[in-house]
Amino acid sequence: MSLAVPNGLDNSVERPGTRAPLVLGESSYHSITEAVCKIAENPPSKLWVISFLVAVHLATMLGLCIAYLFYTGVGVWGNRNPVFWGWPIVNFVFWVGIGHAGTLISAILYLFRQEWRTSINRTAEAMTIFAVVCAGTFPGIHVGRAWLAFWLAPYPSLNLWMWPQFRSPLLWDVFAVSTYATVSLLFWYMGMVPDLATFRDRSKHPVRRAVYGVLSLGWSGSSRHWMRYEKAYALLAAFAAPLVLSVHTIVSFDFAVSQVPGWHTTIFPPYFVAGAIFSGFAMVITLMVPARSIFNIEKLITIRHLENMCKIILTTGMIVGLAYGTEFFIAWYGQVTEEKFAFINRAMGPYWWAYWTMITCNVISPNIFWWKKARTTPWIMFVVSIFVNIGMWFERFVITVTSLSRDYLPSAWAYFEPTWVDWAMLIGSFGLFFTLFLLFCRLMPIINMAETKATLAKELHMAHKDAH
Amino acid sequence: MSETKPAPKTVADGNTVHGVVAEFSDVDSLLAACERVRDAGYTKADAFTPFPVHGIDKALGIKPTVLPWIALTAGAIGTCTALTMQIWMNGIDYQYIISGKPYISLPAFIPVSFELTILFASFGTFFGMWALNGLPRFSNPMFTSPRFDRATDDTFFLFLDAKDKRFDEAGAKVLLGDLGGEFVEPVVEDDSPKKIPSFLLIGLALVIAFSMIPALLVARMRVTKSSSPRFHVFPDMDFSPAKDAQQISTLFADGRAMRPDVPGTVNRGELDWDVDFQTGIDMEKLAQIDAPRARQLVAMMQSDTEIGEGDGEVAGEESPAEEAVEEVTEEPQTEEPAAEEPMADEPATEEPAADEPAAEEPAADEPEAEMQEEPESVKEESASEEPTAEETATEEPASEEPAAEAPAEEMAAEEAPAEETPAETAPEEAATPAEAEPPTEKPAAPASLAPASGPTVDTTPWLTENPLTVDAEVLARGQQQFNIYCSVCHGMNGRGNGLVNQRAQQILATTWTPPSSLHDQTLYQDAYPDGKLFSTISNGVRKMPGYAAQIRAKDRWAIVSYVRALQASQNATLDDVPASQRKALQAKQAEVQAELEKAAAKAAADAQQSAT
Amino acid sequence: MSHHQAVAPKPADDPAFTMPALLSGLSLPLCIGGLIALVGGAFLGTTSLGGRFGMSVYLTAFMYAFTIALGSLFFVLIQHLSRAGWSVVVRRVAELMMVMVLPLAILFLPIAYSVWFGSLYSWTDAGYQAEHGVPIAVWSEKLRWLNPQWFTFRACLYLVIWGSTAWWYYSKSQRQDETGEITLTESMQARSGPAVILFSFCTAFAAFDWVMSLAPMWFSTMFGVYIFTGSVLSAHCAIALLCYVLQRQGAIRDEVTVEHYHDLGKLIFGFICFWGYIAFSQYMLIWYANIPEETHWFAARYPGFSSTFGPISIALMVLHWGLPFLGIMSRHVRRRPWAVAIWSAYILIMHFVDLYWAIMPEASLGAGGAVGVLSSLLCVIGMVALMLGLIITVGSGTRLIPVRDPRLGESLAFENI
Repeated sequence: MSLAVPNGLDNSVERPGTRAPLVLGESSYHSITEAVCKIAENPPSKLWVISFLVAVHLATMLGLCIAYLFYTGVGVWGNRNPVFWGWPIVNFVFWVGIGHAGTLISAILYLFRQEWRTSINRTAEAMTIFAVVCAGTFPGIHVGRAWLAFWLAPYPSLNLWMWPQFRSPLLWDVFAVSTYATVSLLFWYMGMVPDLATFRDRSKHPVRRAVYGVLSLGWSGSSRHWMRYEKAYALLAAFAAPLVLSVHTIVSFDFAVSQVPGWHTTIFPPYFVAGAIFSGFAMVITLMVPARSIFNIEKLITIRHLENMCKIILTTGMIVGLAYGTEFFIAWYGQVTEEKFAFINRAMGPYWWAYWTMITCNVISPNIFWWKKARTTPWIMFVVSIFVNIGMWFERFVITVTSLSRDYLPSAWAYFEPTWVDWAMLIGSFGLFFTLFLLFCRLMPIINMAETKATLAKELHMAHKDAH
Repeated sequence: MSETKPAPKTVADGNTVHGVVAEFSDVDSLLAACERVRDAGYTKADAFTPFPVHGIDKALGIKPTVLPWIALTAGAIGTCTALTMQIWMNGIDYQYIISGKPYISLPAFIPVSFELTILFASFGTFFGMWALNGLPRFSNPMFTSPRFDRATDDTFFLFLDAKDKRFDEAGAKVLLGDLGGEFVEPVVEDDSPKKIPSFLLIGLALVIAFSMIPALLVARMRVTKSSSPRFHVFPDMDFSPAKDAQQISTLFADGRAMRPDVPGTVNRGELDWDVDFQTGIDMEKLAQIDAPRARQLVAMMQSDTEIGEGDGEVAGEESPAEEAVEEVTEEPQTEEPAAEEPMADEPATEEPAADEPAAEEPAADEPEAEMQEEPESVKEESASEEPTAEETATEEPASEEPAAEAPAEEMAAEEAPAEETPAETAPEEAATPAEAEPPTEKPAAPASLAPASGPTVDTTPWLTENPLTVDAEVLARGQQQFNIYCSVCHGMNGRGNGLVNQRAQQILATTWTPPSSLHDQTLYQDAYPDGKLFSTISNGVRKMPGYAAQIRAKDRWAIVSYVRALQASQNATLDDVPASQRKALQAKQAEVQAELEKAAAKAAADAQQSAT
Repeated sequence: MSHHQAVAPKPADDPAFTMPALLSGLSLPLCIGGLIALVGGAFLGTTSLGGRFGMSVYLTAFMYAFTIALGSLFFVLIQHLSRAGWSVVVRRVAELMMVMVLPLAILFLPIAYSVWFGSLYSWTDAGYQAEHGVPIAVWSEKLRWLNPQWFTFRACLYLVIWGSTAWWYYSKSQRQDETGEITLTESMQARSGPAVILFSFCTAFAAFDWVMSLAPMWFSTMFGVYIFTGSVLSAHCAIALLCYVLQRQGAIRDEVTVEHYHDLGKLIFGFICFWGYIAFSQYMLIWYANIPEETHWFAARYPGFSSTFGPISIALMVLHWGLPFLGIMSRHVRRRPWAVAIWSAYILIMHFVDLYWAIMPEASLGAGGAVGVLSSLLCVIGMVALMLGLIITVGSGTRLIPVRDPRLGESLAFENI
């Protein structure tokens, strides 16, 4: 049972009334299994080893920086009066945002029956988990005495005899991010169980077989199991979709419930969510474009998949642009002196360079995706996705730093400057992210085989019907 | 699809047969087979597929799952848990107010409630699904056949369970064979050893045992006492080198714990400061008659001031405050001696006090001559007799000098229209004591104020005019600020009987100095220049504290303008009232007059009655 | 893997695609009666409670119809943007409501008139600045945005953009009914991207202009999104309800199936949650920061502060979000067309309450007593009747589904997993 779609077919073109194939080339269920499993079964390529070594070194640098921070104190950062939320919080919001595309692809696109999600959702979910790991690191070490971070948990403490402060957005954050990490992990793991069973059944080495055997929980593929499994998947998707919205909404509350000019604006929740999706999809493209050619899975992650992601980047980029505009307009329309100043200061103040970097990267650069040529050329989208990543980092920088560095009290105004530890930690967090991601590529099924096979089955069915 | 055909597995005797399984290579034939099996009456048939096959539930007659209900229940428990937890923890057990929110702030509790709802519902779904599926289950008879490994790859299996009522092995095999199934074979018991290997058990026991150690150690430490100091895993702030602002420190060479401002520099945004505006003193004149004091004022202002909100105005200036407080507090004390021995008595006091007597004597008769002499004499005095003031000034004399003069020059340029020659001010100053006389005839409301109205001479060249352009807006602002800050003591009408004073009288507070009535003539513009009034608002007088920190300079000037308006209101004639309103006012006056007369008559009658 | 049979579409001239006779007969009475009630309501409000109240009542009714039309426009655009297949059979119904933007543009005239000569918007009052103690500098800046000329110009701009988009999509879809050209679908898809951007822009700013500026000193960046959410939610409800009514009258019975109601139900459920999310976020941020520049808007609607609108705020929370959230959560409800229709009608009523709550407090008269309530209801009922009459009139001249849409087959065969 196999389906032959010409390899060179441009599946980014879809004639209304038909649906373009999502799996290209000569494919059967078995060929999908082979293509995906081989990535983990074959010995690692040189490129992988080199990238892994680099990533591990950077991650180690992050670890050392954290050790240095613990030993010395948070003064090693550039956080000074009045900018007490400096790079660590910028990095936190940046990484949480990156994570959101994973949940969006797996949950929201699932609910909207977008079948093109099937071959990218696994990687995207993994990206979510790793991004949340990176994100969680920063507020964790930002509390100053990180060894006391457990005080955030509402546990009955004999020493303190008090409870956390539930009216504070920072505590909401704790709950939101930890719930998000947990649910994403469940979702990711649950989606992986059938594929881990495939790994188990293909393993020759007893240890490997035992490990994958335990991880796959004895999955057999029974129809009854599948039925409950699919229901559970749909339910988790339905929970994860509002969850992903709520997480970045709550992150935006951290800023927006305050009275700091430039932070307190009601559009923050949807605007942050759109921004998060925007940056997350950019990160998926940044990862997918090289990965699909390195691991030889262009037939599964086709141009159509990439094009759709580009369209989402374009859409969310426009939403973000509209939100920037609205903020500016309302700052003027509202006629509150401080608010007006905050926005003029963003664009024309000492951080004008950050602001215009942000605008260029986030609002202007995605516009290239209006052209189909750009949406279907991997290197262009790779470049744009890098721009968007940079732009979204700067967005958080602009929001956090410009507002704090010049708020109500001009005598306290100051210019924020990062220290080398800030830099090292930002770079190191990428190291941590890529270390985890590269490990994932080697150890786990990076494409959801079961779902891709189901998509293939549908296409087989359609082809069969057309033949008659 | 199929590769080499291994010989069908022979069923070992004694092994239970769990059922019969057959292979299918595509979805459509599997679905067709499932439907046939269902129609044949099998209820426990199951299919094993590498991916979820749409429609197979119907084909096999699988009933829908209760999972959504589990999720809903778990979610509801999550909501309730979160709300109960937050309401109890923040609303009942450990109450404290934060940002003015109620203890039980439902909007603020919603985010956490939402998160926990999702978390619980997800747990319910995830664990519920595995529990319903009976997983994890590592020993499954299906796994005994090596062919079954392909169930997760590309092969579809249809399984007829031996527990099914209709099951008989031979019949099942025939049925499956007929349906197009390949490799029809029985599923036998998993004969791999069921015992857990002992090394695993021992390993597990050891891990558990070791993991107890830290817990036991902590538990022991909790119940034992020790006289040795706390063990600092993390130093926290236990050893942080904290310094008090006023302490001696070894940190800096000069022994200070804090750094003074760099002399000769101007803080950002302060370049365009108008010192006159901030002090109420005509600095240029002051520089002529009392250069060191002017210098000191400017220098101290620069070092101690903060920038106020928005437009870089001064919010508070401590230095002229101290200066002027001393000066004005001196007034009542110096009152008596000043009259008798002007010069000799004063030298020990600080310079403001020193220049008062210096000015006093000649002020009455030879104003012009005095004005020329004064600067010199003051300079001498300060050089010889003011070591403390000089000390601060001489510390960095070179750099302080230009700093002090630059603003003054700038000011001179700005204030050109308001500039007055010394000759012009002198008579005014001179007139002060003369005009200050009447108050003694017309006593001020509170008797204790009397000493303050004595004839003291103040040579400080106060600004005589409000630097603000007084218009309705400024007056309204002044009124608003006056009502906020001043009226509590001075009363809304300025008569010195605000609520605080009333209360103080009521409880007979012994240390209370009643506030002055602003309608005392000594406080009128001619006796008490605008600048002086401004300075008093800024720096306080007697018991009155300075308000420089609370009220912006501009608003203090607005208050000055309002106080002037208040004073004017008490001496207004009918001519001041717009023509259109005069009639109404006259009518009102007549009415009030009549009322008063009536009341007076009544009072007289009452008095008579009580007397008789 | 779907095992449903491919459904062959009926021929394009099948009677099932024409407006049922009963409804066609109603169109004229609905139009006339609606217009009378609309004018009567506004007149009653104006004469008994003043110009501002009367016009506010009219604005509420206008915004009610307009948001539904806009939501339908958005629905059509988004279906093209996402190349959706499932929705083809209900798209014509949405298109019929979408073209109501054109008659509504005429019904905007009284509002434009009141900006020049009336008293609907308090920023047209010369005394507003003095009365509310707004600093002159602030007020003069405000008036640079809120002045009759510029306001009218912007309104025209929005209406032209919406109207031309709606008309373009409607006429292309009509043409496809005749010719069945696939290129029409392609060009509609190609333009949907920029159209959605223009749409969002206009919606956000129209919400600021037409509703938010009723309280000239109040501002909330989220407000455009708030109006948009209610608009899309109510449009989905209106589509489901209208389809149900048409089916009851015998049209499009085999085309719109339980699967489509299920999907519409899911979307309605999703937008109820989204509405709750947006409404809560807006309130939460303003409540938490608690600065007087913003709180006064909610203070006018706060329980304990306003005896009319306080309870409505609570009601919105419970009845606009809570009750339908629980009601439509179940798949069993969503798979019963009559249940979806009932919930849709209910939410459409709540949408009116929502707009009433957003607009009427600014008229500062509460509900205006029995007369006020009567005029509000008369106005909105008249507006709805008028719109229904027009929809039926337009619908009578066309088919009730896009019969030659290339994705019609996919939509007919559509099945939820």
